[in-house]
Amino acid sequence: MHEVQPAVVVENVTFLWWIPLLPALGVLFHIFLGRRVGKTAVSVVGPSVVAAAFIVSLVAFIRVWLGPPGLVLQQVLWSWLPVGSLDVRFALQVDALSAVMILVVTGVGFLIHLYSVVYMHDDPGYARYFAYLNLFTVAMLVLVMADNLLLLFVGWEGVGLCSYLLIGFWYDNDANASAGKKAFIVNRVGDAAFLVGIFWLFWSFGPGSHTFSFSEIAERGRQLSPAVVTGVTLLLFVGATGKSAQLPLYVWLPDAMAGPTPVSALIHAATMVTAGVYMIARLHALYELAPISLDVVATVGALTAVFAATIGLVQTDIKKVLAYSTISQLGYMFLAVGVGAFSAGIFHLLTHAFFKALLFLGSGSVIHAMGGEQDIRKMGGLRRYLPVTYATFLVGTLAIAGVPGFAGFFSKDMILARAYAEAPMLWGLALVGAGLTAFYMFRLFFLVFLGECRADAHTRAHLHESPRTMTIPLVVLAVLSVVGGYVGLPEFLAWGDRFSAFLAPAVGGSAHAGGHPHLALEVALMGASVFVALAGIAVAYRFYIQAPQTPQQLAARWRRAYQLLWNKYYVDELYAALFVRPIVQLAHVLWRQFDVAVVDGAVNGAGGVVQETGRWLRRWQTGNVQHYALSLLVGTLLLLGYFLGRG
Amino acid sequence: MFFLLSVPLVLFSLGVVLARSPVRSALSLVVALFLLAVMFFLLDARMIAALQVIVYAGAIMVLFLFVIMLLNLQHEPVETARPGQRTIAGAFAVVFALVLGAVALRGLPTMPGPGVEVAVTPSFGSVESLAERLFTRHALAFEVTSVLLLGAIVGAVVLARKIPR
Amino acid sequence: MTTLAFPDVAWLPLLPLMVIGATALLVLVADLFSEGPDYDALGWLGLIGLIVAAVCAALLWNQSGSTLAGTLVLDRYGLFFTILFAVGSGLTLLLSMNYLETTDIRSGDYYTLLLFSTVGMVLMATSVDLIVIFLGLEVMSIAAYALAGIWRTQVRSNEAALKYFILGAFASGFLLLGIALLFGASGETLLPRIGEVAATGTGEQRLLVTIGAALLLVGFGFKVAAAPFHSWAPDVYEGAPTAVTAFMAAGIKAAAFAAFVRVFVDSLGPLAGDWRGALWILAVLTMTVGNVSALVQRNIKRLLAYSSIAHAGYLLVGMVAGGENGNAAVLFYLAVYTFMTVGAFAVVIALGRRGQPHEDLDDWAGVGLRSPFLGFAMTVFMLSLAGVPPLAGFMGKFYLFSAALEAGYVWLTVIAVVNSLVSVYYYVGVLVKMYMAEGGVEAEATSARPYLFAALVATLAGTFLLGLFPTPWFEIARRSVESLI
Repeated sequence: MHEVQPAVVVENVTFLWWIPLLPALGVLFHIFLGRRVGKTAVSVVGPSVVAAAFIVSLVAFIRVWLGPPGLVLQQVLWSWLPVGSLDVRFALQVDALSAVMILVVTGVGFLIHLYSVVYMHDDPGYARYFAYLNLFTVAMLVLVMADNLLLLFVGWEGVGLCSYLLIGFWYDNDANASAGKKAFIVNRVGDAAFLVGIFWLFWSFGPGSHTFSFSEIAERGRQLSPAVVTGVTLLLFVGATGKSAQLPLYVWLPDAMAGPTPVSALIHAATMVTAGVYMIARLHALYELAPISLDVVATVGALTAVFAATIGLVQTDIKKVLAYSTISQLGYMFLAVGVGAFSAGIFHLLTHAFFKALLFLGSGSVIHAMGGEQDIRKMGGLRRYLPVTYATFLVGTLAIAGVPGFAGFFSKDMILARAYAEAPMLWGLALVGAGLTAFYMFRLFFLVFLGECRADAHTRAHLHESPRTMTIPLVVLAVLSVVGGYVGLPEFLAWGDRFSAFLAPAVGGSAHAGGHPHLALEVALMGASVFVALAGIAVAYRFYIQAPQTPQQLAARWRRAYQLLWNKYYVDELYAALFVRPIVQLAHVLWRQFDVAVVDGAVNGAGGVVQETGRWLRRWQTGNVQHYALSLLVGTLLLLGYFLGRG
Repeated sequence: MFFLLSVPLVLFSLGVVLARSPVRSALSLVVALFLLAVMFFLLDARMIAALQVIVYAGAIMVLFLFVIMLLNLQHEPVETARPGQRTIAGAFAVVFALVLGAVALRGLPTMPGPGVEVAVTPSFGSVESLAERLFTRHALAFEVTSVLLLGAIVGAVVLARKIPR
Repeated sequence: MTTLAFPDVAWLPLLPLMVIGATALLVLVADLFSEGPDYDALGWLGLIGLIVAAVCAALLWNQSGSTLAGTLVLDRYGLFFTILFAVGSGLTLLLSMNYLETTDIRSGDYYTLLLFSTVGMVLMATSVDLIVIFLGLEVMSIAAYALAGIWRTQVRSNEAALKYFILGAFASGFLLLGIALLFGASGETLLPRIGEVAATGTGEQRLLVTIGAALLLVGFGFKVAAAPFHSWAPDVYEGAPTAVTAFMAAGIKAAAFAAFVRVFVDSLGPLAGDWRGALWILAVLTMTVGNVSALVQRNIKRLLAYSSIAHAGYLLVGMVAGGENGNAAVLFYLAVYTFMTVGAFAVVIALGRRGQPHEDLDDWAGVGLRSPFLGFAMTVFMLSLAGVPPLAGFMGKFYLFSAALEAGYVWLTVIAVVNSLVSVYYYVGVLVKMYMAEGGVEAEATSARPYLFAALVATLAGTFLLGLFPTPWFEIARRSVESLI
C-alpha cells in the first residue's frame, strides 16, 4: 500500500511547555505546601491546574485542527544529548495524534480530579493523593507530547511510578501494597524488553547523527533490515503488553483495582494503560515495516479481548469486572493497530476513555453509597437510591456493549470492519468477545441496579446519591459517551469518518488497504455485531432478571469450567510457581550465604557493648572473615585458571 | 648449593606453620629468614642480604618474640577451627600449589636454572647502585613511602588512643 | 664515590598533590592547637585546601608533562580524577562537619585521615609507575582502614575496620605479587615499558605478564568491590561511620577505577583479548550479585553497599566496552555516581541523631511526608541510582551501555539493562517506605545543620546538572581519556 505521506509542516511555538508545567507546579504545591494550607486550597489547586492545562491543550488542538493538514506544533526546550553521534532534544510536539491524547488526558483527567475532591475528601493523605495525581498527569503528558523515543520513555517510566504509588495509596492494607508491588514487577518485565528495544534500535542505526525523534525513526527505519525492525518492534510491543495489560503480562491490572476508584478510572482505564496503543500508533511507520510484528500485535490483542472477557463473566467484584473489561477493550485497540487501522485504534481509545472512566466513576459512586462494599451479589435495586448514577451507568454500559447510537458502537464497528478485511479469524474472535462483553456488562448492570436490593438493612438505610461534585463528572462523561462516537461515523453515513481524516497525517492508514469494503458487506458486518450485542444483553436479561437461578445451575453443571474462570485460569498461581518463587529463593540464598550472620548480629545486638563484643568475637571465630578471604581466594584461582586457559 | 639451602628453608617454613608452640614457630621463622638472606648473598645481592638479616631477622623478629612472650602464649589457644575447615584449607593449598606448579612448569624450561652463571656488573647489588636507583628513578616512590608511614602512624595513634570518657 | 644526579623536578604536575598533602599536614598540626572535639575551623581548612587543589588542577587542564623520572604525569586523565577526588572528598567533608557532632569521633583525626586518603587517591590517578600506584593505594587504604574504625566506641565500627584491614591486606598481597611478576617480565615498573613487553613479549615473558594481569585484576577487583571479591563491602559499609561509608563508596571506588583503567588500558591494553573475557564475567557476576542481594536488605547502608557493588558492575561494563567511548563513559559515570551516592548517604546522615543512627528501613516510614526536602532529595538520588531519566544516573548508564553495544557486546548490554531494571525495585522500595508508610522517625530540621544542607544542595545540583546537560561533561570525560593510549 503506497500512499503519499502528507507533508509535515513543523511550526515552532513557545506555549506547549505550559501543558505539562501547570500540573507540575501543582505537584510542587501539594508536596511543599499541601499539608500546611489545608484541604480547601488543595481542592482548588489540584483540579484547576489540570483545567488550565486542558485549556492550553484545547488551544493546541484547535491550532492543529484549523491549520494545514500535517501541522506539527513543536517546542524545543533544550538539547539534551548533543554529543557525537547523538542529538536528542528535550522537545515537545503536538500533532493530530498528540492533540487527541492531550485532550483526553487533561479533559478526562480534570473530571476525575474534580470527582476526587469529594471521593477522597476524608482521606488523611489528601494532599499526597493530589500530588501523585498531578504528577501522573505530568508524566502522561510528557509521554504523549514527546518528540522522541527517549523522552517518551521518560514519561513511560513516570506514569509507571505514579501508578505504583497510587495503587498502593492505602498502604496500611497489605493486599494493596502487594498489588502495587505486583504492578511494578510485571511492568519491569515489559520495560526491560522496551529498553532493550530502544537500545537495539539506536545500535542498528549505526553511526551518523541521531535525534531519536519519531520522524527520524520513521525515516531511518526503512533502511534497516526487516529482521531488525521485526525484532525491535516486537520488543517494544512486549513493553506495551506490560503497560497496557495484555497477554501474558496483564495480571497486574485486576489487582491494581486496590487503589482508589478515581485512580482506577484515570490511570487504569482512561489514560496510562492506553500508552502501549499510543506508542504503536506513534511508531506506526516502523510497525508497518514489520508485518510479522503487526500480526503478533493483532493476534495478542484479539486473544486478550476474548480471554479477559471470559474471566469477566464470573467475577463478583464490581471493580474486577470493570478491570477485566478494560483488559478486553485494550485488546480491541491492539487488534485495531495490529491490522493497520491505527486511527480506529485511537478512536476506540478515545471513546473507551469516556465510557470506561464513566463506568469506573459510577462504580465509585456505588461503592461510596454502599459504604465500601464491592461485591455485586450484595447489591441490587440501586436504581431507586442512585438515580443519576443509574442513568449514567446505563449509558456507559450501552456504550461498551456496542449498542448502536452510542460511542462504543462506532469505534468497535470500525475495528471489526477493518479486522474482517485483514484477518477474518481475528474478526471472529473479536465478535465473540463483543457478545461476551455485552453479556457481562449487563450482568453487572442488572445485578447492581435492578432486581431486589440484597444489601443488609444497615447499608440500605445509608444509601444515598453522591453529591454534585461527583455526579457532574458522571453526566459530562455520559454525554461524551454518546456524542463522542459521532466524530467517526462509518463512511457512508452523514459526514463520515472525520476522526480518521483528522488523524491521517499523523498515523497514516486512513485509506483502507483494499479500498472501502462493499457497502452491503459493511452493513452486514454491522448487523452481525449489533446482533451479538443484543444477544448478549438478552442472555444477561434472561439469566439475571427473568430466571435468577440459571447462573447457579450452569455453574453447578459446568463446575470445572466455572472454577477455571473463577480462578482466572490459574495464571497468577502459574507465574508464582514459575518465576516469583525461584527468584525469591535465589535472593534468599544469596542473602543467607553472605549476610545472615552479620545482620542477625546487628539486629539482635542491641543489648550492651560487652555482650555484643562477645557475640562479635564468637562470630569472628566462626570464621566469617575467613569465609570472605576464602571467596577471594576462590575467585583468584578461577581467574588464574581463566587466564592460563587462554594464555 | 641452592638445594642445600632450599631444602632446610622449606622445612623451616613448614615449621612456622605447623609448630604448636608460638615461640617455636617464631624461631623457625628466624632460621628461615636467615637462610633466605644467605640465598640473597649467593645471588650477589649483598645489600639485600644484609637488610634481610638486620630488618627481618633482627628487628621485626625480636618484636614478634617480645609480643609472644609478653602475652605469655605458651600454647596455641584451643582449636577454634570448625570441623572440616582444615580439610578445606588443605584442599585449597593443594589447588593453589597446583596452579603455581602449572605456571612454573610452563615458564621454567625457558628460564635459566640454578647453577647457570649469569654475568653481573661489579656494582650489582651494592649500596651505591641501590641508592642511585632509589634516589633517581624511584625518588617519588621513596617520598611517597614517607607519606605512607606518616599516614599509618596517624591511623595507628587514632585507633590505639585511649577512648575519652 | 659516584655523585647522585637527582632527577629534575617539574613542580607543576605535583601541585594539586602537594596542596592536598600540605593541607593534611596543616590540619594535623592545627589540630594540636584547636579547642574542643568538634572544631569547624579544621573542616573549613580541609575544605579550602581541597578547593584550591581542584582549582589548581582545573587551571592545569591544558598543560601536560611528567616529573620525577617520568613516574608522575600531568595529563587530563589524572587531572580529571584529581578534580573528582577533590569534589568527592570535599562533599564528604561537608557532610561530615555536622555528622561528627553526633558521634564520638575527634574531628581533627578524622579530617587528617580523610586528606591523607585523598593524597593516596591522587597518586593512584596521576602516577604511571606501578610502585607509586601501589604506594598510593596503600596510603589511601591505610587511612581508610583507620577511618572505618574511627568511631572507637562503636563495636561495629571496630569490626568493620578489622575486617577491611585483614581482607585489604590479603588483596594487597595479590596486587603486589602481580606487580612483581610484571616487573619480572619487563624489568620495569613504568606502565609504558610494561606495555611494550605485553605487546611484544613471548614465552615466559608473556606468561608472567598474563599471570600478573590476573593478579592485578584481583587486587583492583577487591578495591572496587567486584564480585567475587566484594564480600567485605556490605559489612564494612554498614559498620563504618556513615560519612566514611559515603567516602568509600564515592572516593575509594573512583580511585580504584582510576588506577584500574589506567593500568589495564595503558600497559595491559595489548592483552585486552585475554582480560576482556574475564572482566565480562566479573561484570555480569558483580551486577547480578549486587542487585539480587540488595533486594532483601532491610538496612539502608547495607542496601546502598550492595547497590555500590552493582554499580561497580556497571562500570566494569564500560571497561569491557573499552575504547574512547567506553572509558569516557566510565569516567562520566564515576562523576555521576559520586554525586548521587554521596547525596544518598547525606540523607541517611540527615535522618540520624546522636546515638540513634536510624539506618533501618522501617525508620524511613513517612519521612518523605514529614520532611519534604529530605524526601525530595532521597527520591532524586534513588531514582538517579536506579537510572530513571532524566537524572544523571540515567545518562551515565546510557553512555555505558551504548558504548558496550557499539563495541558489540549485545548480551552484556541486555544483562546490564535487565539488572538495572531489577535494581529499580529496591530503590523504589525506599521511596515507598518514605511516602507510603507511617511510624518512622522524625528528622531533625535541615536548617539546623547548615553543612549537611549545603552538601545535599550540591549533590542535588550535580545530579540534575549531569542528567539534564550531560554533553559538556561527557566531552570533558572524553578529552580526559584521550591521554590514555
